[in-house]
Amino acid sequence: MSLEEIAFLFLAAVALVTAVAALLVRELVHTILWIAIFFVDLSAIYFLLNAPFLGVIQLGVYAGAVTVLLLFGVMVTRKRIFAREAATGIGPIPLALALVTFIFVVSAVAELGQTERPIRSYDPSYLSVNLFQTNGPWLLLLGLIMLASVSGAIYLVREGRE
Amino acid sequence: MTTLILSGFLALSAGLLAISIFGILTRRNFILLLIAIEIGMNAAILNFVYFAAFSGATTGLDGQAIAVVLIGFAATEIAVGLAIVLALNRLKGSINVAQAIELKL
Repeated sequence: MSLEEIAFLFLAAVALVTAVAALLVRELVHTILWIAIFFVDLSAIYFLLNAPFLGVIQLGVYAGAVTVLLLFGVMVTRKRIFAREAATGIGPIPLALALVTFIFVVSAVAELGQTERPIRSYDPSYLSVNLFQTNGPWLLLLGLIMLASVSGAIYLVREGRE
Repeated sequence: MTTLILSGFLALSAGLLAISIFGILTRRNFILLLIAIEIGMNAAILNFVYFAAFSGATTGLDGQAIAVVLIGFAATEIAVGLAIVLALNRLKGSINVAQAIELKL
């Protein structure tokens, strides 16, 4: 077993465990700490897949901005930050639905077989050409949608609205 | 050259998707709901990166470019989601989605 495979197995295990822990712990602040570890772990997977640019974006946007936004959300909506959530039961139907989805997708994935494939390495300047020339309109659309949604968010939270 | 098995990565995404579906169906707190949606979104973004990494082409990084755009969308979605959380908290005094029933018939 190569070093990369061991690294992948470790990162995959951490991702699954932190995702489950984030949804099952009772304190919301602990949830956000788990989800921060999850985001950092995914960025490590991007680095493993030779996508350092995406790894850095994942660190900056998810592990940085989204985590802090979520923490602010928790901070302003409750009186005691470490208050525990009321326990919600784990019904059999959601668990069964999640398991069925997992088994269905994995059985489709199993058709691919277990051949080892090389991970390509590339010149990062290709990515900038692809991002700003080939997919330039998409990036422009992203900017416009972000602008519209941020104005929408400000409209939602502004003062004096009944 | 690094070689890895694509199916392992796809199985990881499938697991994250299942966890996300489970979270969306069971959690009643709006912030936990947003986090569950983020986990599913990340599983989808990971898929684009896998196929870009394993495609074997020398140019053409469409998968990674789409992943960059999707990460931007996801961050925007969190911003709007938290604005809804704040509005819900102001209206109801709690962020339990079971209490947001104004539009129910």
